[in-house]
Amino acid sequence: MSREVTRNIYSNSRSHAPSVGVPAIGASRGPESPEATRVSNGLKEFLWNLDGLGRGTLLDLGPAWQTTLSFFIERGFRVSSEDLLRSWKAFLTEEETRLREDSAARESLDMTPSGRASRFLVENLQYPRVSFDAVLLWDLLDYIEPTLVKQIVANLTELLRPGGVVFAMFHSKKPEGFQRYRVLDSNTLQVVSSSVVCPPQRVYQNREIQDLFGRYRTVKSFVGRDQLRETLFIK
Amino acid sequence: MWKKDDVKSPTTPEVSTPPAPSPVLAVPSASAPSSFALPVSPRAAACISQGIRIKGEVTGNEDLFVDGLVEGKLNLTTNCCLTVGPNGTVKADLNAREIIVRGKVEGKVTARDKLQVWSTGQITGEVQTGRLAIEDGALLRGKVEAGKQSAKPAPAAVSSPAPELNSGTAAD
Repeated sequence: MSREVTRNIYSNSRSHAPSVGVPAIGASRGPESPEATRVSNGLKEFLWNLDGLGRGTLLDLGPAWQTTLSFFIERGFRVSSEDLLRSWKAFLTEEETRLREDSAARESLDMTPSGRASRFLVENLQYPRVSFDAVLLWDLLDYIEPTLVKQIVANLTELLRPGGVVFAMFHSKKPEGFQRYRVLDSNTLQVVSSSVVCPPQRVYQNREIQDLFGRYRTVKSFVGRDQLRETLFIK
Repeated sequence: MWKKDDVKSPTTPEVSTPPAPSPVLAVPSASAPSSFALPVSPRAAACISQGIRIKGEVTGNEDLFVDGLVEGKLNLTTNCCLTVGPNGTVKADLNAREIIVRGKVEGKVTARDKLQVWSTGQITGEVQTGRLAIEDGALLRGKVEAGKQSAKPAPAAVSSPAPELNSGTAAD
């Protein structure tokens, strides 16, 4: 893995240089819609692990936020964005419609969770193997069917380069609301309340998380006051 | 005595003339309410409006507003701005100096200067742009490369850093 140093990603500055030319619409809207922020030690550690990486590649599986994209693009990353939860929701809706209208599909399709997961992954998370240095997984796994979760983690492991890092979050109890996260600076996340895309599926215990990411060599966890565990997995 | 013929009903107009066509349709006014004004670049001379479907390659050197369906390739040379309107669906590779997306785009998007994705915008495909502005709610699925390294800058902009894009434009 090339680690040419071009820019220090681990800067703790909120003010991004305008010369980079990636404006932050989301950031400029901050005062209009007061959203909570949280100090994120997980993000800080995530960035520390990526420090010194030249033109790194990042896969962001959350929504495409201006601030998050800008943050990484300004630091030289090539970012791929895929709102996995929204895609999953769209897939479920589409499949439900299809099954309602097409009786042949009802009989031919494998309706087990595993079959559904496989069909979903045919059109999602399709990237070349070992093509990413980092993945922002956020708290998506809490909202996805456990069978699909296993396949997603397996796929991500294939997509990551050796030494690559996954940043994930897990709720310690069933979340009351639905939230999305965006990067404000190198150790601050903005918590954006949102309408529920998918209901929470499962609360993972530490042991289950470790088993899910068993192929990773390092796991680091940070528990916040809001009962959200930020976890880093290094391949 | 008063003459009945002189009395005219105030409610019935004598001559019913059709209202003059609204200039807003032809030349969108920036001051008009956003729901009525066409979301098109002020300089846009060409328009593929809703209901029009084009398959093939579209090239040009004028600003273009697409609110219909285009499949194939869309390439605007020189200093042109391409706007995909809220009703627009483009399944094509796009290439223009500036691209504004308010509808659906599937394909490779190359905006040499800047790309704005509004909240109603959806892009599926690779994005290469000099500068990027995404409004909350926009859907973006694919690889994003932004900055001078990936985009081919205009000759005048080579020596100077890219100017900051007005962050309010995409949200207006």
